Amino acid sequence: MISVQHLVKRYGSKVAVDDLSFEVDKGEVVGFLGPNGAGKSTTLRVIAGFLGLTSGTVKVAGHDITKESFEARQKLGYMPEAVPHYPEMRVVEYLRFRAELKRVPGGERKRAVWDAMGKANVRDVANVVIGHLSKGYRQRVGLADALVGSPPLLVLDEPTAGLDPNQIRDVREVIRELGKEHTVLLSTHILSEVEASCSRVVVIAGGKLVAEGTMDEIARKRRSAGLHVVVRGDLDAAVAALRGVEGIVKALPEPATTADEGVHAVRCSWSKKLDEGAAARATEEAVGALVGRGLFVREASPVKSTLEELFGELTGARADDAAREDEEEEAAS
Amino acid sequence: MRSFWPIYKRELFAFFVTPLAWVLITVFLLVQGMHFFLLVDHFASAGQQISDQTPLQAFFGNTVLLYLVLFLLIPPMTMRLFAEERRSGTIESLMTAPVSSIGVVLAKYAAVLTTYVAMWAPTVLYLVILRQTGDIDWNVAASAYLGVLLVGAGYLSLGMLMSAITKSQFLALVLTATVILALFILGVGEFVTREGTVMHDVCSHVSVWAHMNDFASGVVDSRRLVFYGSLVVLPLFVTVRAVDAWRWG
Repeated sequence: MISVQHLVKRYGSKVAVDDLSFEVDKGEVVGFLGPNGAGKSTTLRVIAGFLGLTSGTVKVAGHDITKESFEARQKLGYMPEAVPHYPEMRVVEYLRFRAELKRVPGGERKRAVWDAMGKANVRDVANVVIGHLSKGYRQRVGLADALVGSPPLLVLDEPTAGLDPNQIRDVREVIRELGKEHTVLLSTHILSEVEASCSRVVVIAGGKLVAEGTMDEIARKRRSAGLHVVVRGDLDAAVAALRGVEGIVKALPEPATTADEGVHAVRCSWSKKLDEGAAARATEEAVGALVGRGLFVREASPVKSTLEELFGELTGARADDAAREDEEEEAAS
Repeated sequence: MRSFWPIYKRELFAFFVTPLAWVLITVFLLVQGMHFFLLVDHFASAGQQISDQTPLQAFFGNTVLLYLVLFLLIPPMTMRLFAEERRSGTIESLMTAPVSSIGVVLAKYAAVLTTYVAMWAPTVLYLVILRQTGDIDWNVAASAYLGVLLVGAGYLSLGMLMSAITKSQFLALVLTATVILALFILGVGEFVTREGTVMHDVCSHVSVWAHMNDFASGVVDSRRLVFYGSLVVLPLFVTVRAVDAWRWG
């Protein structure tokens, strides 16, 4: 449904999106993940046809967005980040206006608006002036707007930004429902959001692609962050032995989970430079060192980093770039 | 261009649902009503002495009041057209719908022009009132209204362009007022420069004051039509380019 190939977007001399390529297939719900200012909104705006691209090609439902902009925009429902509306219009008036703009034929317009309001859960405020609505409702009106005319593809820019936990749950629920009929690309900087509603994820940072795949595939990228050992014997000797192993930068006692006399748990952290193979060897060495000191090893298990830590690792190196680009994006929009 | 109708309707709706439109129209009709009253009073007391001018001519031509209200009312009418949408971000929703830049620009322009015409419409009553006491040359009346329409159309087009080049409504207001005032003053230069000089020719070509006097006395000069035609089309064209240009900003 969406094909982005070597997309580059510059604001003046600053690069907001740098050679980004990814695909979204029909029926997928894809999370577009990245820290604030990574170029998410810029990319989505390009896909939605609001911003022009500097180079590369973007196709929406097979239509090149620069050459067949109308066809592409007609296939796509877009919800901008700040969910702007005309405050003086009533919800139903606004959605009728949007339906007409999106070329829903006159006879089907009423029905299309009613359906969209149903899916986005805003029927109860149909006759309220948008300026009087709460943030959560306004967000959902934005969703209804994207849904009017039932476009096959939905592009949602931070659909849960600024909502309270209950509202977030509601919106996620709606998105999961939508995923059954529509292809969805949604951006977010919150990892749990992706876990909750997406079948696949595209991670970018500093305008570049850093990871792509299903949540499981991404989770497999987590490297072991350290080692958890349980030993019987002298605690001080165990800690000293572990600190002596190359690759271990920290070894701290942890509360043991058993009541057995003389059993201690220690948590070690690998040095940052350690790759997966070296970590495995360091594990062998650590166990060897413990045994060599006459301690009994009951347990030695790798400590995996959390998804949040992985996210930080994937995107962190570019955080400085991202902060700079954030400002540009503001200045440019 | 199919996006024309919905945007046109929405613009009119947005304009008339806010107090701004009603305040502007009220101010306009108050000033024009007063103007008309003074004229009628003047003509009634002067009797036969002034025969070279009819009340109708005096209402539309040779009066600074006409321009005063235009300078006062045109900028607030056009300032919000694009500046407001860009400031609030609604332009993003608008331009990501299957619409064309030309369609958006023309729809917004048509809406503000419709408002302008609606503003003037009640003044036709003055003609009806004048008819109670004497004859009216309807050709002159038509040409005077044509003049009012052309001048307004040109000013509105300039105003819309100003609204498209800034995100600030206030700045759009100031810019519009400055530009149409500058154009007017340049035209007044016709009366202070020496005849025969290039400056004089330029000034008289753009002299809104002199144009309106012609229109008010029933003279429709094709040069004026070309001038106002370009005063409408050129800013519209640049506005369309400006709207396209945001995408590449």
